[in-house]
Amino acid sequence: MFYRLSGVHHANYVSDSRIFKVPADRNLTAFIFLIGLAAPFIIPSLYLNSYMLPWLIWTAAALGLNLVTGWAGQLHLGYAAVMAVGAYSAIHAARFGVPWEFALIIGGLTSSVIGSLFAFAALRVKGLYLALTTLAMQFVMDWVLTHSPAISGGSHASLQSPTLALLGQEITTDTGFYYVAFGWCVLVTIFMLNLKRTGLGRALVAVREKDFAAAILGVNSFYYKILAFATSSFIAGVSGALLVATFFFLAAPEQFSVAVSIQVLAMVIVGGLGSIIGSYFGVALILLVPGIVNGLVVTLSDGLGMQINVETLAHIPNAVYGALIVIILLIEPLGLGKLYGNIRDYLMVWPFDQFKK
Amino acid sequence: MDWVFLSELAINGALTGLLYSLFAIGLVLIYKASSVPNLAQGGLTMVGAYVVLALARDVGLSLWLAIPLAAVVMFGLGFGIERVALRRLAGRPVVMILMLTLGLDIFLRGTTLAIWGGTSRSMELGVSYDPLFLGDIFISRIHLVGAGVALALFVAFMLFFQTRTGIKLRAIADDYMASWSVGISVERGVGLSWALASVVAVAAGVIWGEIQGVDQALSLLLLKGLTVAVLGGLDSILGAVIAGIILGVVENVGADFLDPLVGGGSRELIVAAVLILTVMIRPHGLFGRHDIERV
Amino acid sequence: MQEKVEAQNILSMNSVEVLYDNVMLAIKGVSVQVPTGGMIALLGSNGAGKSTTLKAISGLLKAERGRISRGGITFQGTDITEALAQKRVEMGICHVIEGRRVFEHLTPDENLTAAAPRGMSRSTLSAEKDKIYAYFPRLAERRNSQAGYLSGGEQQMLAIGRALVTQPKLLMLDEPSLGLAPFLVEEIFGILQRINREEGLSVLLVEQNALAALEIVSQGYLIENGRVVMHGTAEALKSNSDIQEFYLGGGEGTDFHNVKHYSRRKRWLS
Repeated sequence: MFYRLSGVHHANYVSDSRIFKVPADRNLTAFIFLIGLAAPFIIPSLYLNSYMLPWLIWTAAALGLNLVTGWAGQLHLGYAAVMAVGAYSAIHAARFGVPWEFALIIGGLTSSVIGSLFAFAALRVKGLYLALTTLAMQFVMDWVLTHSPAISGGSHASLQSPTLALLGQEITTDTGFYYVAFGWCVLVTIFMLNLKRTGLGRALVAVREKDFAAAILGVNSFYYKILAFATSSFIAGVSGALLVATFFFLAAPEQFSVAVSIQVLAMVIVGGLGSIIGSYFGVALILLVPGIVNGLVVTLSDGLGMQINVETLAHIPNAVYGALIVIILLIEPLGLGKLYGNIRDYLMVWPFDQFKK
Repeated sequence: MDWVFLSELAINGALTGLLYSLFAIGLVLIYKASSVPNLAQGGLTMVGAYVVLALARDVGLSLWLAIPLAAVVMFGLGFGIERVALRRLAGRPVVMILMLTLGLDIFLRGTTLAIWGGTSRSMELGVSYDPLFLGDIFISRIHLVGAGVALALFVAFMLFFQTRTGIKLRAIADDYMASWSVGISVERGVGLSWALASVVAVAAGVIWGEIQGVDQALSLLLLKGLTVAVLGGLDSILGAVIAGIILGVVENVGADFLDPLVGGGSRELIVAAVLILTVMIRPHGLFGRHDIERV
Repeated sequence: MQEKVEAQNILSMNSVEVLYDNVMLAIKGVSVQVPTGGMIALLGSNGAGKSTTLKAISGLLKAERGRISRGGITFQGTDITEALAQKRVEMGICHVIEGRRVFEHLTPDENLTAAAPRGMSRSTLSAEKDKIYAYFPRLAERRNSQAGYLSGGEQQMLAIGRALVTQPKLLMLDEPSLGLAPFLVEEIFGILQRINREEGLSVLLVEQNALAALEIVSQGYLIENGRVVMHGTAEALKSNSDIQEFYLGGGEGTDFHNVKHYSRRKRWLS
């Protein structure tokens, strides 16, 4: 338990570039993975379905955004639109009779293509202007969605998702949905963990730090920016499709509005730019805490015998959500991932660093 | 081609555009003094309108007393925002500052609605709804009043930025470090710009509240305000006014052509397109300062 | 005795240590005295800690996440170690920061206005401006063009002029000669000397161009690796063989033996 760094020596590059440099981290990850596998048997199905499942899918989506914003440093305020593209194309494909496995990939690829359009904005401008352009593109996408009944599903603007079926198996139970989400999230996480160790990951970081300086060093920033957008859009597309297939069951344009784009960005930033574990924390915080606070307010007001007006209750989660973003940014601009890292590093050598002074 | 109709569209578009400018001036003020893009201006505008109504309806003051009082309250709120939030993040990457202002926006909206509820309220300024006729052209009175307010604020701020305090604010936007070195209080300057932007938000909130009702929709002006600010150059007040007129005319006339083709609702599309085109073609806008980045 | 020294020195800095980000020790116990009405130079190579010394005095360290971790600074007998930058400017310390950072989008005239202390009357300000334009006639010609388009020398003059508007008692300049043609350096240094003489303004000059600096100052400090390694009158420094070798680029021809000798000497100095 203690002295987790003892006996850890990296004598060559291969060992130093392993995913988990400290065995304790690997063990912890394995433990959490096992809990994740066992979750349907531990956690009541109501919680599984309404908290765990969205948490995992949103985490996968947030990791995708983290790739483009955290790693490649390109601001993206139109991420929900890209998710929508994936969701709608996958569901249309599935309704057309394409097997779900392929439908998901079609969704991902369509998102990649459309998402790469955002990259062309990133080639021209960056920072604030890129944020504004992607925001405007989100509005354009929203508009296209709501104004084309062929895509959004007729006058009610809602599109029923066909029953999810993977590997010839129809998935209808909560447990089944959970495992699909869990599998996807694990897949994306493994991809992101490995990304750090590849030339691609390093090139993205170089582009983030200073794109033209990277270009001078021979990193083709044009190519890597498009690659980053395309990859992250693929993740967005599949995540969007899975979100509809396992959680909403009905696709509607407002599930992918500007507010959602802002929400995903908030998850990434509150979690910490470029931090994988941070994305898990960020999503959990943004997704769950406003609801919990609201629950507390209800209990408290009941306990004190106070009458809180329904409208007030309806808007408290929003206020809490905004306040959370501000507070976390003020406490630690690098997000929850950095806070976790600080605590981890502190405990790593505890209690020896106490003797240093 | 019906020229009377077209010029009516253009004139009313220009007036509406000036109302966008009214909103955008708040954005420009803050950007001009601290290079911070304030995405919370929509939230501030909403708060401004609600505070006016709260003072007028809930406290029972006359509207003409409530508006200046609300301006004072919002002036304090603006200073407070800088003190509590912006100061801690000075010098951080733009993504964090953007997120901070977005978080503020969400917080302000949520809190306002939690306190006063989401049902639309009306401002009741007492401006007559009888149309005004200029020859054959129909003009809305409230738009005219709003355009007048926007122009008055424009003149006031143009003069303000020539005063000593105004020059100091511009100096802060140029270089924080150099400002500190000659004894300019950067913190106070940035706070002042937020305070002034909050006062502008009261003006925008009152006018827009009169036009479309005081509710959550006020914060949706952000996209149009941003488009105007960017088209004008983000740090140019003159730019905001001219860009507002341009956007208003383009939106009004363009929507008239496009709506029959796409089945209505093309306004947002036009605004988004103008924003994208501006950033792609001329990121520093019509009158913005041009910065050079060096390795 | 102590009090007498305080009275003579407008600024005294006693074994000051500066930490950046709580980890990086940039200067390690620097003591510098500036006599009232004197002109002092801080010499040294890149990264020696000269700019950090100035920032410690002007209070700009805070903006770069630095702080004074040991030692103290007194200005006219008042302890200013913890004072805010703005307060120090009010007391009369003005720092012309490195790299001619004028307010580029303002005109020279507005640059001067921006630096005016709060509460300075309109007439005082215009008198100040006239005085500065008299010192720097080139600025007067271009007072209404955009400062970003001024030449390097004019920008440096503007930066100095802007500092003078704050009515300083101690003017600190960080490498005013950087990137300027020799005749411009001479012109600017000449003006500095005039201001020093005519107004009794104390000057603390940080320079890499030791040759030019030692021509106009009375005393100099040599800083290396965050420590003062030498202090003396300008004449003494000029005639010092090490200074000649390392900073003035003069001295006898360099054969291998000598280089070795000097580098050993240099290590000993720091």
